[in-house]
Amino acid sequence: MPSSIQGLSTIRILSQYHANLWIGGILFALIVLAGVFAPWLAHTDPVMDADLMNSGLPPGHDFWFGTDDQGRDIYSRVLYGARVSLTVGIGSQLINTVIGVALGLSAGYWGGWWDDFINGLTNMMLAIPSLVFALAIMAILSPGLTSLLIALGLTNWSFTCRLSRASTLSVKSQGYVQAAKVLGYSDLRIMATQILPNILGPIVIIATLGMGGAVLAEAALSFLGLGIKPPFPSWGSMLSDAREQMMLAPWISIFPGLAIFATVLSLNLLGDGLRDILDPQSRTRRT
Amino acid sequence: MLQYLVRRIVQMIPILLAVALLIFVVFSVIPGTFASSVGADGRGMLDDKVIERMNEQFGLNDPVYVRFGQYVLDLMQLDLGDSFRTRRPVVEELASRALPTLRLIAGSMLFAIVIGLPLGFLAALKPGTLLDSVSMVTAVSGLSIPKFWLGLLMMFLFALTLGWLPSFGYGSGGLRHLILPSIALGVAPMALLARTTRAAVLDILNADFVRTARSKGMSEIRVVRWHLVRNALVIVLTTIGLQFGTVIGEAVVIEQLFSWPGIGSLMVDSVTLRDIPVVQGCILVIVLFFLVVNMLIDVLCAIIDPRIKYD
Amino acid sequence: MINRFLMAATTALALSLTAGAHAQEPRDGGTIRYTAAYGPSFAGLDIHSTNRTQDAIWAMAVHRGLYGWDPVAKKPTLELAESVDVSDDGLVYTYKLRDDAYFHNGRKMTADDIIWTYTDIMDGSKAYPGARYIRLIKGAEDVESGKAKTISGLKKIDDHTLEITLTEPVEPGYYLNQMTTAIYPAKEAQEKGFASHPIGLGPFKFEEYVPGSRMAFSRFDKFYKKDLPHADKLVITPMGEASARNVAFRNQEIDASILGPVQYQTYSADPELSKNMVEVAEYYTRVMGFNPGYEPFADKRVRQAINYAINTDLIIKKLAKGKAYPAAGWLPPSSSAYDKSMKPYAYDPDKAKALLKEAGYGDGFEFEVIATSNESWGVPIIEAIVPMLAKVGIKVTIKPVEGSVLSESVRAGKFQAFMWSLETGPDPLAALKCFDSSTPQSACNYTKFDNAEFDKLLEQAGNEKDQTKRIETLQKANKIVYDEAPYWFYNCNKAVMAYQPWLHGLQANPVDLALQNYEDIWVDDSSPVAE
Repeated sequence: MPSSIQGLSTIRILSQYHANLWIGGILFALIVLAGVFAPWLAHTDPVMDADLMNSGLPPGHDFWFGTDDQGRDIYSRVLYGARVSLTVGIGSQLINTVIGVALGLSAGYWGGWWDDFINGLTNMMLAIPSLVFALAIMAILSPGLTSLLIALGLTNWSFTCRLSRASTLSVKSQGYVQAAKVLGYSDLRIMATQILPNILGPIVIIATLGMGGAVLAEAALSFLGLGIKPPFPSWGSMLSDAREQMMLAPWISIFPGLAIFATVLSLNLLGDGLRDILDPQSRTRRT
Repeated sequence: MLQYLVRRIVQMIPILLAVALLIFVVFSVIPGTFASSVGADGRGMLDDKVIERMNEQFGLNDPVYVRFGQYVLDLMQLDLGDSFRTRRPVVEELASRALPTLRLIAGSMLFAIVIGLPLGFLAALKPGTLLDSVSMVTAVSGLSIPKFWLGLLMMFLFALTLGWLPSFGYGSGGLRHLILPSIALGVAPMALLARTTRAAVLDILNADFVRTARSKGMSEIRVVRWHLVRNALVIVLTTIGLQFGTVIGEAVVIEQLFSWPGIGSLMVDSVTLRDIPVVQGCILVIVLFFLVVNMLIDVLCAIIDPRIKYD
Repeated sequence: MINRFLMAATTALALSLTAGAHAQEPRDGGTIRYTAAYGPSFAGLDIHSTNRTQDAIWAMAVHRGLYGWDPVAKKPTLELAESVDVSDDGLVYTYKLRDDAYFHNGRKMTADDIIWTYTDIMDGSKAYPGARYIRLIKGAEDVESGKAKTISGLKKIDDHTLEITLTEPVEPGYYLNQMTTAIYPAKEAQEKGFASHPIGLGPFKFEEYVPGSRMAFSRFDKFYKKDLPHADKLVITPMGEASARNVAFRNQEIDASILGPVQYQTYSADPELSKNMVEVAEYYTRVMGFNPGYEPFADKRVRQAINYAINTDLIIKKLAKGKAYPAAGWLPPSSSAYDKSMKPYAYDPDKAKALLKEAGYGDGFEFEVIATSNESWGVPIIEAIVPMLAKVGIKVTIKPVEGSVLSESVRAGKFQAFMWSLETGPDPLAALKCFDSSTPQSACNYTKFDNAEFDKLLEQAGNEKDQTKRIETLQKANKIVYDEAPYWFYNCNKAVMAYQPWLHGLQANPVDLALQNYEDIWVDDSSPVAE
């Protein structure tokens, strides 16, 4: 007998109260708040308050997370770094979603040569590893926040596109869509008011999970030296700078690493939680 | 089936050409040239005449469309050009670096499958228990951790502190050198596979349960179960196929970190040196590999589930 | 009985004495496990096509040039020739070549090989970096431009006598000791197999190359230096990551490792590791260059102000972890024309502010620096000066670029300021020539330096035969550069290499510590690969 029918168990309780959603959501909200209120929560300026005399101090009373090589307070830099990671994560995913939905919805709705073209384009994008593509784009555009948004925003829309298209195809045949057509609504209006709201569920889930991926991608690009412009902090570049010092001054890399981990984890949990609510038929249902 | 295979192979060609064009265009606008990278270590004053001759020799003074046309023509004859750096054929460079990357990808996917599948399976068999929670939390964590950070941590723990494994390099191609990079690269696909497997198996079990509750007879259960197992296999295989694509991309960072002499690190090197023929060759090979793997997986899925028709 | 005992005792005593002596005497055999720290790979097996130091590291094992380099005397030495006669005008050099120099396939070297090599390097269709050095020979330029097929300044007198005529009276040893001019075997180099299996005149034979992984060499028994090399095998692994080298070194997987600043700090503090480190002041000066075309930088006072505003010593102490010498002008401490009495710019932010006000920039200004991510002379250093310059009202923005882009932008003058590590030796005249107004910006006059007095001093030094007077003149010229401050003089590199206790014979080479004469290195029997 499958144990799923045997009494209450941890995960049963957790899933009934949508633990994923709450834990992920609250954690993410906290991180966003930390980033937004960084100037008030931080102790120092993340760039200017650099006194080499304080270089490499371990966590202590004055510097909660210790200092880095340049004598800057890591606690403050982690807070400000949240701004970069969150901006890149949310921003690039927004761009991805807009592009993906626009292309996928229109491809599914209109079909024909436009559909074929989008399909081919999506196939091509799916075949190039997105990190590699982003690398190439960052090499052309000089490092910086806008370049990151462009690079990550342009390379990760294919999955959303596929999903939008598939959802559109199944919604297209529904009664209310046919009715709207008969009533003479314009294509654009139908797509925006009839189809879009009905395909948003899975798309929001993918977008949330994608944000986590974008944060990781920003970290990887910064690690390779192609991320945001120094000396402004980004969690990925902080990790890269601390590479040498892992043995001597582990706090320089532990805190940004934990920050990335916490952010991506919260986004993943949030995405899972949303999936539980919005798409109960989905295959990652708990029980 | 054969028709389908042929069609898929033919479909690869426009994709490869499109990728080649894209990369070509991207690298024509990139600042910095091979000639200028030669003097980048500040040693010795660069010589104007030599630089001019280098650009001439590599055909960098011709307009873009001429160069691309030439590139496509060469591509038809399977000639990927010569590396600026070594002045040897790009195919040679790629061939010598292909094996380490293949081993790394095989190693990491093997780790992902060997750990992820059973983990997901077991978690599905005992849903709601501690085992389930722990496995799934581990899975989510595995998906949330930056790979290079994990790689660094493992390097310092297992290589330096404990001294169990070598910290870098390829060695003589032995297993010991493969372990750390494979795990660092394989943790994320492992996590995803665990979750996917768990979900797929759960569906089988729940449907099973529902059917049993309706008590319609044994044979129907067996048919239903086989049908769902098939579905599950298809989902798992498709996930594996897609993971190959992610792993190939992420391998670049891992190869850099562990000094692994594969195509990923060759590509990063060549981008830094602006050795464009090699970069283009690397990307084409990576894309081709991904396309072939996914085609094979699709074929496998079709064999497993004949209801999947590709037309 | 007692006799036998006495005999045994004396033998034992004799053995112990000689064993003690043997501990100092080079031992033959074993494997040297070396690392090439400047990148993750090599640029292939043709040393003529690349002038990167990373590739010179392996080339030193397999190849030799007409001249070599003596790291202790800090002078070029004759390698492939036994003696040389110089004409009075300093333009014609007649070399009596060694007749005991063999290529690795057993063939003896002759003048033909040298002539073929130099001519091939000048081949106009091939763009070899070494052309820059061979151009010193009369007639080489004509081959380059296609006007001639042979170099007129190269004359073979007989198989072992070669006459070279130069275009200017400089010491050819500084030019012809470069690995990019290493002598190839004339016939064999044109064969197909040479590209994958190079043959040279060096102490080690090429054995195998695993691209991206390592190169292996074995001892060449017919090397022209008697009883050398000591080791049987040599393995060189490219390892660009200092942290990876650190781990490998501590794991005893490699025998030598160039240390980065962080490792320098830890190793120096370690009682065991600090015993086996070799240091040298390399001929590299790290600078931030100012473009005089960018208005504030046209004024000498602004440039000096920046030198005063930056606490260079603190940066060296905290970021370079003491692994550098403060730069007092252009020439490094190991240079023959180094002036010990010159002091680097002091840290004086008040003076900086005063100078800025005088120059009309009392309210400050801003500028952008291009730099690579290099930890010793890249973005991290600029990050450190941002707050310091902010204190005197100057705002600095950073534009990180890759090496190739830096090199391209600087040579084309497309920058406001840049940070780089530049070669400033071994010949101080050649190093200072960068500031001669006739040197183009694309060559090495990156700051478009133009000072008439300096030009005169340099010409004087070039014509000066007396060594002491020459050095004096060069020092005067260096002072002008110091005063004019076309650069912020940051530091001169202190190269440090850690080695395992069983490795001996490393040389403190100021040209680049990683470039070693491998024939002088040996392993004692405590090495795990002593056999």
